[in-house]
Amino acid sequence: MGLRVYIITRTLLTIPTLLLLLTMVFLVMRVLPGDPVDLHFERKGTPEQIAQMRQILGLDKPIWNQYVDYLWGIVDIGYLLQHGYPNLGKSMQVTSQDVGRQIFSVFPATLELAIYSMIIASVIGILLGTVSSKSYNSLLDHVIRGFGTVTYAIPVFFLGILFQLIFGVYLHWLPVSLRINPNVEFPAHVTGLFTIDSILEGNIVKLFESLKTLLLPSLTLGIILSGIFIRLTRMNMLETLRLDFITAARARGLRESTVTYGYALRNAFLPILTMMGLQFAMLLGGAVLTETTFEWPGLGSYIVGRINYRDYTAIQGAVVMFGLFVTLVSLVVDILYAYFDPRIRL
Amino acid sequence: MWNKVELSIVVLVLIGIIVSSSTMYYTTTVMSNLSTLTSDVSTLTENVLNLTSSVRDLATITRVLAEAMGAFNETLADLEARLAAIEASLAAKAKETLIVGTTDAVENTLDPAQAYDYFGWCIMQQISGTLVSVTPGSISGTDFQPELATSWNASTDGKIWDFTLRQNVRFPDGTELNATHVKYSFDRSIALIPSTPDGAPANLYYDQIINRTEVLSKYKVRFFLNNAYGPMLGIISCRASAIVDPTYAPWMTQVNYTADHARSSTPLAFVGPYYLSKWERVGDRDIEIRLDENPYYWNATSGYPKTKTIIFRFYRDASTLRLAVEAGDIDMAFRHISALDVLSLQTNTNVKVWIGPGAPMFFMCFQEDHAPFNDSRVRMALAAAINRTAVVTTLFPGLANATYSMIPPGMLAHGDAFKELGDANLTLTTSLLAQLGYSSTNKLKFDLWYESSGHYQLSAEQAALYKAQFEASGVMEVTLKPADWPSYRTNRNNGIMDVFVYGWYPDYFDPDDYAFLYWASWLNLHYDVWSPTAYAQQIALYDQARYTTNTTLRIQLYNQIEDIAADQCSIVPLFVTKLWAVTKPKVSGLVLDITQDMRYWLIYIAG
Amino acid sequence: MSEKKIRRSILARCIPRLTSLAKKGPSGWMIMIGIVIVLTFIVITMIGPWISPHNPSALFIGPPVASPSSQFPMGTNFLGQDMLSRVLCGGSVMLQVAGLSVLICFIIGVPIGLFSSYSGGFVDSACSLVMDALYAFPGLVIAIAIAAMLGPGVINMSLSIAVVYIPTYFRIVRSQVLSIKELAYTEAARAAGAKWHTILFRYIFPNVIPSIVVVTTINFADAILTAAGLTFIGLGVSIDVPDWGLDLTMGRKLIANGAWWVITFPGIMIILLALGFTFIGEGLSELLNPKLQH
Repeated sequence: MGLRVYIITRTLLTIPTLLLLLTMVFLVMRVLPGDPVDLHFERKGTPEQIAQMRQILGLDKPIWNQYVDYLWGIVDIGYLLQHGYPNLGKSMQVTSQDVGRQIFSVFPATLELAIYSMIIASVIGILLGTVSSKSYNSLLDHVIRGFGTVTYAIPVFFLGILFQLIFGVYLHWLPVSLRINPNVEFPAHVTGLFTIDSILEGNIVKLFESLKTLLLPSLTLGIILSGIFIRLTRMNMLETLRLDFITAARARGLRESTVTYGYALRNAFLPILTMMGLQFAMLLGGAVLTETTFEWPGLGSYIVGRINYRDYTAIQGAVVMFGLFVTLVSLVVDILYAYFDPRIRL
Repeated sequence: MWNKVELSIVVLVLIGIIVSSSTMYYTTTVMSNLSTLTSDVSTLTENVLNLTSSVRDLATITRVLAEAMGAFNETLADLEARLAAIEASLAAKAKETLIVGTTDAVENTLDPAQAYDYFGWCIMQQISGTLVSVTPGSISGTDFQPELATSWNASTDGKIWDFTLRQNVRFPDGTELNATHVKYSFDRSIALIPSTPDGAPANLYYDQIINRTEVLSKYKVRFFLNNAYGPMLGIISCRASAIVDPTYAPWMTQVNYTADHARSSTPLAFVGPYYLSKWERVGDRDIEIRLDENPYYWNATSGYPKTKTIIFRFYRDASTLRLAVEAGDIDMAFRHISALDVLSLQTNTNVKVWIGPGAPMFFMCFQEDHAPFNDSRVRMALAAAINRTAVVTTLFPGLANATYSMIPPGMLAHGDAFKELGDANLTLTTSLLAQLGYSSTNKLKFDLWYESSGHYQLSAEQAALYKAQFEASGVMEVTLKPADWPSYRTNRNNGIMDVFVYGWYPDYFDPDDYAFLYWASWLNLHYDVWSPTAYAQQIALYDQARYTTNTTLRIQLYNQIEDIAADQCSIVPLFVTKLWAVTKPKVSGLVLDITQDMRYWLIYIAG
Repeated sequence: MSEKKIRRSILARCIPRLTSLAKKGPSGWMIMIGIVIVLTFIVITMIGPWISPHNPSALFIGPPVASPSSQFPMGTNFLGQDMLSRVLCGGSVMLQVAGLSVLICFIIGVPIGLFSSYSGGFVDSACSLVMDALYAFPGLVIAIAIAAMLGPGVINMSLSIAVVYIPTYFRIVRSQVLSIKELAYTEAARAAGAKWHTILFRYIFPNVIPSIVVVTTINFADAILTAAGLTFIGLGVSIDVPDWGLDLTMGRKLIANGAWWVITFPGIMIILLALGFTFIGEGLSELLNPKLQH
């Protein structure tokens, strides 16, 4: 089938998946024990107060009603266009605040961390994986494979604190916390990603400072994730390097580096691309621990904080946000894959 | 069996493990030595300075090479000048800015009618004012000095208080502070009590203490009280009595956080050393609070505030906060660096540790609805088994004081009523429990709950210690149960926990604010139900002490209350933690006194 | 060939005997190292309470935060507990949590995968859709949300971790079944009149086992790390149960003071255990990957 038809079919397929995702989040939040109303009051609430709070939070409506309100809020494009964030309900802890607004204000931080970690992970992973595959079964190969396996097994906060101690406290090279040095004002908000906003603002100092603070957390997360990329790249390269067209290219007298990077890597790249998409979900999850260790004010810290208040709407909204984003990324990855590899469209 | 390659890989892996663990050891010891060699804590400015100076060196070299191209020279000179300017302004800015890291956050609002949290009160103190305040460095917490009022007096029966206001105190828009503002502030807080039952004025009983407020003249205000009230100046100095600006303080509405608009986020009159220039918040967490020097401050001529700008940055994790001040991300860390870290930081030359008297009190509670805790002998038995001194020396050496009274050391009427029960007095414990039939074959089994999300310092470790102390008697079996802060609070409200430790922070410095804890209704221990006689006695003594200003009499009365309390053991005082802050070496001027207030306008960066 | 012989040859092809592992090259002894590590850990955990020099939960056996010495080879932590004993006994919580969550995943994910893919049609599409939606969740986030609601404890932690992994089992099983379904000998069996449950359990299932084993091992490794993560956030077990995750969290507070041993030894144990499982999984998947066999 053509590319266009594939895109349409694939996009349409996401809709039932998304619907299911939203429904499951809704159900899980309702099914679990723990009453947000009870937790709202410092001292024990009187029955009238509890009833009133239930009404404010919308928990007194029948569950079907709540479900419809919830779904409608998310798909309400008018609201999204008007406010700049979707209607995910009101926070249960501070009932005047919109969850959508809160989530949209913290999400860019996690996105920035995820992007840079992914860059580091894929660069390290692909390079080392390729080098490893070139010298199959040699000592270098085994060391790199070992490295790739071990890094994934290290708990994030363990590596995090080692880096914080070495680079922050002992060497005083890098800051260990927050998003940007407090002496420097936040760049003017356009995307919410400090590095991009600094460039848009044309401010070198802010760019430099935000990169500096970004380095340690993304390095931690990036190194841990690189393991997967190393192994995957190595595996795919090994397969590709065996193929005939590689022998042919070598026979034609092309330089080894051209053969490796120009021919083999390009062909082996597609599954790696898919893996990058899949790993994004992992990244967003792993960001929770990194954000807590490095005091990075993103969606992960937000969720952990909201859980302490049993703020269902906020947790629901954040999980939906994660899920939506991951679905979107896998959609894009699938389409890219189909673009590059026509066999998939069949 | 194994060939050479496999064997070598196994050996390599083992070597790798050995090498990495010894490297880690070596690295930490060498690096800690290395850090003591570095003379200055490097700041942002220094890094930028290095960068700009290297860029400047590079620019100079390039300039020499490009001598022939005139236009090129000019561009480079311009760049160098601009970099030098940035560098200079950053250096100057750094000296005028104090960056403070904390694990606190404003709980809800900065409206005095509602705010009842430490950090909210802290910010409110920097930006507004009260009629009187406690002198910095006060030991008893009851040395009051004029702030927005220059003098005051009370009638002989203590029911009428007159305050003369300071003249020429101006709001930023030019309005002069006068008595109508004071009346408005108090009337508003009291009027809002029904809709803010969790707020400070409600919990401090403003509506029951104050009958009405009257404006006598432009600078004179009079309070009519329902009864003589001993701690009157105490509550006048606390932040629930901060003065609001009617322009920003609507009559029957609580003022809440408004994004991107600091002025509208608080009803307070900006008559303090700072004004709130930026407040950014998401959910229950603050992102940034920025205080800038208030040019209209009435005491500016004395040189306050000493630092032009205070920027607060918020941390969730105490360990990261400690790393941040050590690494130089922030200039000062106040509340709460872990007690574990403070001790080792005291020998660290990269930071300065400040320790002051504390007021947060920790005590153990018994749920009397759960038998056999309704029997005072059981409660006394457990109280006797506790070894406070061990807890303090193990977990908070030099950073806490064991206390045998619910009134903290240094405060009026501090006693030692619980000393007669002793520490780790296991003979008393076993004999008391034996009276109810508990022995090593028939152990008393109960749950000891502790708070697991970091709300209290070292609560898990404390719990482990208490469990060991209880079980050392040989007649108890303790199950530890963790609960994070919201669950802990809900459990307290619902009376679920058999035995648990709770903490209390004073609102003002008077035994009136501590003694009531023995029967505090919101602890839900139902002590009043199970020991009605003792409760009635204590309450009568308490009211008597509160409605008199005769200090000797008050001391007597509080001592009597505590004697009854030591017999009943509804709650058992444990210890009072001190107050500490960690700063970069050049930061000076901190005053840590019993009020627990951090007066940021006194702090400056030396050198 | 008779039915029995077909079955035996399938099994023989797919499950290499341990003794022949060494001959299979690097993948082979990777599996062996992994198995050795995992077995060692299981044994240590079981006999831990007997071989520990001290009671791991007893407080103040030694001076607090004492560096490793002959008396305390791995030092002591803040409460004066012997780190060596805690390291020997601390694995049980992790292994229990990981084991339980893997078991739950297995019991739920594998049968659904088998039936769904074998039935095909609407049932298959519906199940795949549900699993795809579940797959989109970032694991740790859901685990945190669920664990926070349910409260601390081994069973709750396992449940929260398990929920996230079910789609992985489903997917792997499904892709295997789909490919085997079309093979000649399955057709032959069907043509010979074998019932669906015979085909499913005697022909298809044995072929699926190797991939399931691979996923299980990777699941184990991930479950261990997720359990450590949950403990770090504060949703782990209570403080009087020795647990590596707990030591890791407490040790993190101490390492800045120079006490590197509290976090390092339990950390190495967690890493090694996760590595053990990963080695098995990695080695097995390489072994079974036909494209790499030469």
